[in-house]
Amino acid sequence: MSITEKLKKFGHKETGVRYFCLQTIRFKKLLENARGVLDLFADGREKLQGEYIFDRHYVVSLIDSVLDRLKMMVYDAAVLVPARGEALFAAYDVHKQTARKLIVPGRAASAGSDFDDPEYQLLAEALQWFNGTAMPTDQTVMGFIKQTFFYVTTGLPAPDILSWGKLSEHIDVLTVGRGLYVIDLWKDVQSLPAHKRTLADFDQTPLRHLLMAASLPAEPVWIAAVSEYQMSLQSIRPDFGFRLETLASGYEPSDFIFIFTDNVTLLDKILPPGFHIESTDFGQFAWSLDLSAKTIEDTLMNIGRKLFDESLRRS
Amino acid sequence: MSEQPLRIMLIDDEQIVGKRLKPALEKTGDIVETFEEGEQALARFDETPFDIVVTDIRMEKIDGIQILEHIMAKSARTKVIIITGYATVEIAREALSKGAFDFIAKPFKPGDLREIIERASRELKS
Repeated sequence: MSITEKLKKFGHKETGVRYFCLQTIRFKKLLENARGVLDLFADGREKLQGEYIFDRHYVVSLIDSVLDRLKMMVYDAAVLVPARGEALFAAYDVHKQTARKLIVPGRAASAGSDFDDPEYQLLAEALQWFNGTAMPTDQTVMGFIKQTFFYVTTGLPAPDILSWGKLSEHIDVLTVGRGLYVIDLWKDVQSLPAHKRTLADFDQTPLRHLLMAASLPAEPVWIAAVSEYQMSLQSIRPDFGFRLETLASGYEPSDFIFIFTDNVTLLDKILPPGFHIESTDFGQFAWSLDLSAKTIEDTLMNIGRKLFDESLRRS
Repeated sequence: MSEQPLRIMLIDDEQIVGKRLKPALEKTGDIVETFEEGEQALARFDETPFDIVVTDIRMEKIDGIQILEHIMAKSARTKVIIITGYATVEIAREALSKGAFDFIAKPFKPGDLREIIERASRELKS
């Protein structure tokens, strides 16, 4: 076999797994940027309610920071689902114009202002644009974030596990057992051990918590891409969209759980209190941020106990 | 015997700062005068020295560093506290190297500034 043929074969062998891992890592970036936007919302809310001394420059910087993060989010989403890229960037441009109108010097405050100081009024209006109830949802940044997640979670192609399985080189990458495929997110295919591994071979915190009390189905209908502290769990059933992302590093400010499902009631049944759940016509989003190590362990264990129960999903 | 009230000068070209800080700082009985322009503030300082000057760093015409230099030259005992805007901490460091007592970054709560003023007050008395 010539070198060219070898290279060609090598490339084909890796394509499916590598693409899936890159997709998972990019999705994590998308979540990080979304979380950055939510943190900025929280900062603005705290300043408005907390008797702070701030100037116009703070509010303008806050708005600019939201736009910057939003742009990064849109970029991530467009990489994941290129077909939606044009629509996402067009929607982003509309938000950019809204922001620019907000910070035009000398702009008159909206009628019925609750604040005497123009800086406080500007911040209040920015918060309305971020996530205010006085604005139609499709005009808020939060509404745009939800729309973006919807595009991404419904537009991502499901991993083609069957084609991976046909390639003997990928057997090492996957552990098939108890209804779940597991993939090492960062390990190169070529550096993996030759023997087929079990779940015990994975040094993986979130997955261990998830499976602590779980009864997995016999058929492999789930796939988890993992690193030591990160897990991306997906359903690979065509009739059930579910994606769970989590980081359980033990460092509270960065640990989180994010879930999307196209089932419109499932999260109400499987999630413990403390989650922010957004229900929409196309499914449910839920997230919980800044989780302690103990809370994340308990939460993942609880989710694992209920998530694989088919009757719960169908009820 | 009650303590002598502090004479505090507050300089910031953003109206909101003086408007919100003045009543908060006066609660403890101190005397607070606010200015939105550096020139007026310095003219007032030349008439009557203040114990503490709290000044924004970025202003038109005269900036906080110029105010600091003027005050240090006139009254070395006066404590100058610098208010920095968003992401201007580097300039605040420059102010410290030129003799500013401390700096505080916007956004902040009046209580945060009060703590710095109390430290400055203790130094003035020592």
